[in-house]
Amino acid sequence: MDTSTGLTALAQAAFWITVGFTATGAVIAVFPRNILHNVLGLALALAGVAGLYLCLGSFFIAMMQLLIYVGAICIAIVFAIMLSRPLHLETPQRGVPKVAMALTASAVFFVAITSVTLRTEWTPPIGRGTDYSIETLGHMLLTRYELVFELISLVLLVAIIGAVVTAGFSRRSSS
Amino acid sequence: MNNLNTYLIISAFLFSLGLLGVLQRRNLIGMLISIELMLNAANLNFMAFNRFLSPEPFVGQIIALFIMGLAAAEAAIGLSIILALFRKLHSINIERAQKLKG
Amino acid sequence: MEVFSRDPVLLATILGTSLPFLSMATILIFTRHYPMLSSRISVSAIGFSLVSAIFLLVKLACAPGPIRYETGWLSSGLLHVPFGYFLDPLSLLMLTIVAAVAFLVQVYSLGYMAGDPGYSRYYAFQSLFAWAMMNMVIASSMLQLFIFWELVGLASYLLIGFYYEKQSASQAGKKAFVMTRVGDVGFFLGLIILTIGYGNLGISDLNTAASTHVLSQNLITLSALLIFCGVVGKSAQFPLLTWLPDAMEGPTPVSALLHSATMVAAGVYVFSRIFPFFSASPDAMAVALAIGTVTMLLASTMAMVTFDLKQVWAYSTISQLGLMVMALAAGGYFAGVYHLTTHAGFKALLFLCSGIFIHQYHTNDMRVIGKQGGRKLLIPMTCIIVGALALSGVFPLSGFFSKEAVLGALAENSNPIWLLAGLFGAFLTAYYSFRLIFFILCPQGGIEEKHPVDEMDAHVKQEHAEEHHGYLFWAMAIPVMILSALTLVLGFVEHPLENFMAGGIPTHHMQGVQHAAEQAHGGGHSWLLIAGVSAGLLGIALAWFEFGRKKAARVGFLGRFPTIWKLFERRWFMDDFFRKTLDRFVYAGLTRIFTMNDRRIIDGGIDGICFFTEAGGRLFSFLQSGMLQYNLLIMVLAAGVAILFFLV
Repeated sequence: MDTSTGLTALAQAAFWITVGFTATGAVIAVFPRNILHNVLGLALALAGVAGLYLCLGSFFIAMMQLLIYVGAICIAIVFAIMLSRPLHLETPQRGVPKVAMALTASAVFFVAITSVTLRTEWTPPIGRGTDYSIETLGHMLLTRYELVFELISLVLLVAIIGAVVTAGFSRRSSS
Repeated sequence: MNNLNTYLIISAFLFSLGLLGVLQRRNLIGMLISIELMLNAANLNFMAFNRFLSPEPFVGQIIALFIMGLAAAEAAIGLSIILALFRKLHSINIERAQKLKG
Repeated sequence: MEVFSRDPVLLATILGTSLPFLSMATILIFTRHYPMLSSRISVSAIGFSLVSAIFLLVKLACAPGPIRYETGWLSSGLLHVPFGYFLDPLSLLMLTIVAAVAFLVQVYSLGYMAGDPGYSRYYAFQSLFAWAMMNMVIASSMLQLFIFWELVGLASYLLIGFYYEKQSASQAGKKAFVMTRVGDVGFFLGLIILTIGYGNLGISDLNTAASTHVLSQNLITLSALLIFCGVVGKSAQFPLLTWLPDAMEGPTPVSALLHSATMVAAGVYVFSRIFPFFSASPDAMAVALAIGTVTMLLASTMAMVTFDLKQVWAYSTISQLGLMVMALAAGGYFAGVYHLTTHAGFKALLFLCSGIFIHQYHTNDMRVIGKQGGRKLLIPMTCIIVGALALSGVFPLSGFFSKEAVLGALAENSNPIWLLAGLFGAFLTAYYSFRLIFFILCPQGGIEEKHPVDEMDAHVKQEHAEEHHGYLFWAMAIPVMILSALTLVLGFVEHPLENFMAGGIPTHHMQGVQHAAEQAHGGGHSWLLIAGVSAGLLGIALAWFEFGRKKAARVGFLGRFPTIWKLFERRWFMDDFFRKTLDRFVYAGLTRIFTMNDRRIIDGGIDGICFFTEAGGRLFSFLQSGMLQYNLLIMVLAAGVAILFFLV
């Protein structure tokens, strides 16, 4: 019993630490004016979210989160920063009214979403499966959700071509 | 404290922070970062619902995977647009891009 | 294809009536720049139409009843408009006339129009004209008929204004178009009233319904009068008659076609087409009778004073059309149709002959033609005399028989005034036609061998001398001879024709008609025969006395009354009246109001709307900052507030 309460407490602590990482990362990602700090904050927040996924029992998705977001997207953003050299250019001043309005809007939105969350009676269904295994996930991806799977790969292909075309044509027209 | 509402509120917090970033950053790349945050918030929602409410506990995971794919696509496109815009305006300040001003 | 081989009648109908359209399309699209090819295409198309029309006539001569190929066109609720072909004796007879006259005129035009820059265009329009008229003739519903009726109007507009570079020609085309349009408004209103009141525009249905008293009397009278407005416009009846003399601006063969078988005949044809319908309304018939009489007399008086060759025939057409309307309105169905038939023949003949004179001497003035030796052109001179005799109703030409039939129908009427008017009209007709003949035949002071130097220089004369015996001359002469042969023969087929026509309309009408016809010829009215012929001969004699004999004054009795002469010459001041009405009333009054409405209210309204839109746009354009983030901010704020609102 002791061990179990100890473990539970440990798990609780780990959970809250993860939440703390996530929140800190998100704040760093949004507020500082140095763009590189933002990227690092984003990486922290994404890693925190990956930890939350672990808490939710999905090891595979957590790994994917680390792989795709932290590994790929953050790197891509860093590349974009280097290509567009924003560090050498003006760092625009913040207009106070704009920040105030943005704060109001997001606060209203946060309150709205939170109150929706708290006011709703979430009732879990009666017969719930407990199958979180990666095998089932892979099986489902290639059977029931095969079409969506293929579609996603198509979307990715189009996105890549589109990105190449957009970036390439703009280079030609500007030079 | 490991229940649905906690996750939902965390996700709402992430989403609102992302929203704040999108609304007030002038740096386009900063906006993109904020958008990634918002997408993650949505993903977290899906995962939480999958964990606590879904009758089949893999549907949410699959959707989360798809959203990650879409996010990758979105990031690629967004970054290329930023590059194009940068070449055109020699700046990535969003407030410079106001050709549609009435 | 199998359907066609099983039913050659349908095949002939469709082919015969649509080939001219195909030829028009071909000419306009492909062969505009190959005039000879265009004319060949057009002539062979109309030739085929003629062959199929004759085939249909022969095939259906012994058919028990009318043949209808119909399919529903508009059908909704109480409204039913069929679409298709309606082949009965009347339409077949008319189809044959149209095809024959159009064919002859087109052959004639090979000579008359040779070398004209618009040769291909001319043949395209001719084909269009023939196509529209033939389809109008065999239409099975009034709406279909109306469509082709308008197409006939369009084609005649195009042909009258054929020399569009000439101001007077384009004016005449416009005048013809607009004046017939005035009548067509009435026609269309009549059709609308029929549609509302009865809901079925099929021709045979209409006739049956009217004669079996399904329709109310008021409805019939009203719609019949309105439809008669269309007849008035198209057939140039009083008061819409002045467009027809002006229509002379077109090429002469066009006038021949216009005056004999197509344009003006369309009005009379419609009258006879729905004759049972008209005859169900005595009031409408009385109005038609009066209008026909007034038209006939007015036009005859106008014809007595003009020196223009073609205008004489134009006025005579109007007066003969008036005579046909009189005959029909007096209940003489067969008489009217028969006169239409014979008139188509001899009027085409007269115009084509005049065309040869005009082509030869380059003038329309009968005095000049006579002076320059018009009587030396033997073929047209003979033929024009044949035509004029037929027009005057002299035995044994076709005009005699049909005019007797008309007079017989008029004699049926209890009021003798119509008969007297008809006889007087016959006298005037003979007078003015032979006035023309004698002007050409016996010119004052003999023929001047050396005609004064006018626009014909030696070179042109040379050319004409060659033409005289060449292919071009015969292209003109042969149709004329065929037509005069027809004029000679057509009178003797009256009884077969009458029996043939008897299949056309319901029997109880036919009895009356036969009765009238018998009375006109066989029974009891021999005095009428004598009266009719003597009226004609009297007219000829008077014309000879005043214009023909050696020492004649060549002025005419009207010359002594300059006021009356002026009255007749100015067409009873009808054109001036229309002009004044237009200027005073329409242009000065209505048009000004409409213009003001247009400028102030419509334009001003639109300007105002534009102004307010623009001002509003300027006012609110500050919302469009072009800033992505503000737009997004508003959106998010609104979404959040909306969620909160619905939550609370």
